[in-house]
Amino acid sequence: MKTFVFRNHTIEPLLGYDGMTYSGYDDISVVPREVDRYIWFYQVPVNADSAQLAEEIDSYRDKLDLVLAAADEHKPFIILSLVNLFPLTMTGNDTALSEAISAFNSHAARLSRERAGVKWVDFSAFTSRYEADVLINWKYYFMSQTLINPKLVHDFQHWWQRIEQELLYNRKKCLVLDLDNTLWGGVLGEDGIDGIQIGGDYPGKAYTYWQRALLQLSRNGVILAVCSKNNEADVQQAWEKNPAMVLKREHFSALRINWQDKATSMQELAEELNIGLDSMVFLDDNPSERELIKQMLPEVVVPDFPEKPYQLMPFFKSLVESYFRIYAVTSEDRAKTEQYQANARRNAEQARFTTMESYLYSLDIQMDVIPADEHNLPRIAQMTQKTNQFNLTTRRYAEDEVRRLLDKGWQIYCLNVSDRFGDSGITATIFIEPIDDKTASIDTLLLSCRILGKGIEEAFAKTVFNLLRLDGYRQLQAAYLPTARNGQTADFYDRMGMTLARTGGDGAKYYEMSLNDVFEINNCYNIRVL
Amino acid sequence: MRMTFGVDEVTTDASQKNCEQWDSLRHLTLASELEEAFDLELEPEEIAEMTDFARVVAMLKSKL
Repeated sequence: MKTFVFRNHTIEPLLGYDGMTYSGYDDISVVPREVDRYIWFYQVPVNADSAQLAEEIDSYRDKLDLVLAAADEHKPFIILSLVNLFPLTMTGNDTALSEAISAFNSHAARLSRERAGVKWVDFSAFTSRYEADVLINWKYYFMSQTLINPKLVHDFQHWWQRIEQELLYNRKKCLVLDLDNTLWGGVLGEDGIDGIQIGGDYPGKAYTYWQRALLQLSRNGVILAVCSKNNEADVQQAWEKNPAMVLKREHFSALRINWQDKATSMQELAEELNIGLDSMVFLDDNPSERELIKQMLPEVVVPDFPEKPYQLMPFFKSLVESYFRIYAVTSEDRAKTEQYQANARRNAEQARFTTMESYLYSLDIQMDVIPADEHNLPRIAQMTQKTNQFNLTTRRYAEDEVRRLLDKGWQIYCLNVSDRFGDSGITATIFIEPIDDKTASIDTLLLSCRILGKGIEEAFAKTVFNLLRLDGYRQLQAAYLPTARNGQTADFYDRMGMTLARTGGDGAKYYEMSLNDVFEINNCYNIRVL
Repeated sequence: MRMTFGVDEVTTDASQKNCEQWDSLRHLTLASELEEAFDLELEPEEIAEMTDFARVVAMLKSKL
């Protein structure tokens, strides 16, 4: 990757030499376009005349604007904030310089919100870790124009690597928490619901702050899960009855509260959430549990857990900075958290009903069957690319291929599902190929796993079959093509009442069915054909 | 030294003259790393004198 850096001091030791080209000192006369990205990394010069310095800082703002106007707008442009490493004023009320620096930083931050590709990085997040006399090494400053102490180069590079990850939106997805002495103080099974430490004075207060911080983490798109050796009924009671509990059942996307070994539980959690073990962080106060996970599942990150409750807040900060900070939370991340939470609420609801049917009625499920059009076509193509588990034939299509099939007279529908807990969006699709006037064939049928477990797949398929019947089709063909991931759909067409016509190599199954009769659909679904 | 200059091998006859990577900037990086590694302080004049491998070694010996 080729990076061009605008700078006014020697910063080569910090950002390195590989792939980097540096501007002259405070030189914006050359703004190359044949690069992969730009970095703006100015530092506040050393100058005892603060009024003059303030003017110079003001000029950086104009220079930044000029550079941005000349730079290739399709390339990322990273701006590091200005930090005054050597604040020097003769009078206490001389604020011109600090105001100029703030003005530059607000300007840069505003640019990052207004112009795509511009990212703002707070350099003070690095410098604030050090004392003023450590930050600058005057000997090297005068020899080489290097303001930042060369002895901090390794620290800087470590920090910068993490920033690059943040800018790429790379982070861990899921934080898995133990309960006793991790999420609260004490042991639930021994101390009881009201005996555990949460709320009130220290140490309960420290756990309250910790839980509030974790809640914010989940609001920023990190999935929380529980892995605890406990009686699940006790824990449910603690969540329901202890008024000081900040994190409750609905904040966790998945639970393993049982007595089996935690390595097995972690693997189950990864499967249930459909995420990799390498995107999970495991927290447990018990060193032997941590050791077990480190040994058995080396992909999982296992940080040491603080000994004392008053260390939880600084521990939280280091967790965020090491694993969970990203440049920005996208609306997709937020929606994901909501969807996982909606799923959790649905599960809680399910527990209250004795029959599946009364549960389904209570959900108030709305299904909109929508013919493919320009608006939903990208989503339909995306689903054929990404859906693995409930996918009968796993045929992948690009957007323009789907468009071509429509032109050839195929019938393609997608399905929008919502219920009283939220809107899951477009989460299923079916592709029908006309064979002749009376015969149609299902080329593709898939559902996102988010909406599985509510009989929606059957209701969707039957609705489309009834539509085909109204269009005059009397015979339907379908196929199941096995893959490593779609085993759960192997007998779907059998359950739909289709007849197995023949089997192919590799376990493929080909079905037929007549469309003489109307398919009855359970009326717990509100179905609209748009 | 190998790390500082990004080269595979440093021979004892290496100097600022015959090593392209041993430029003035990386010379200072080298000085800073020597200060760290040997826990000593080099004065700017001393850093300026260490123009080849032998002089670097001699300087370190005089300091330790």
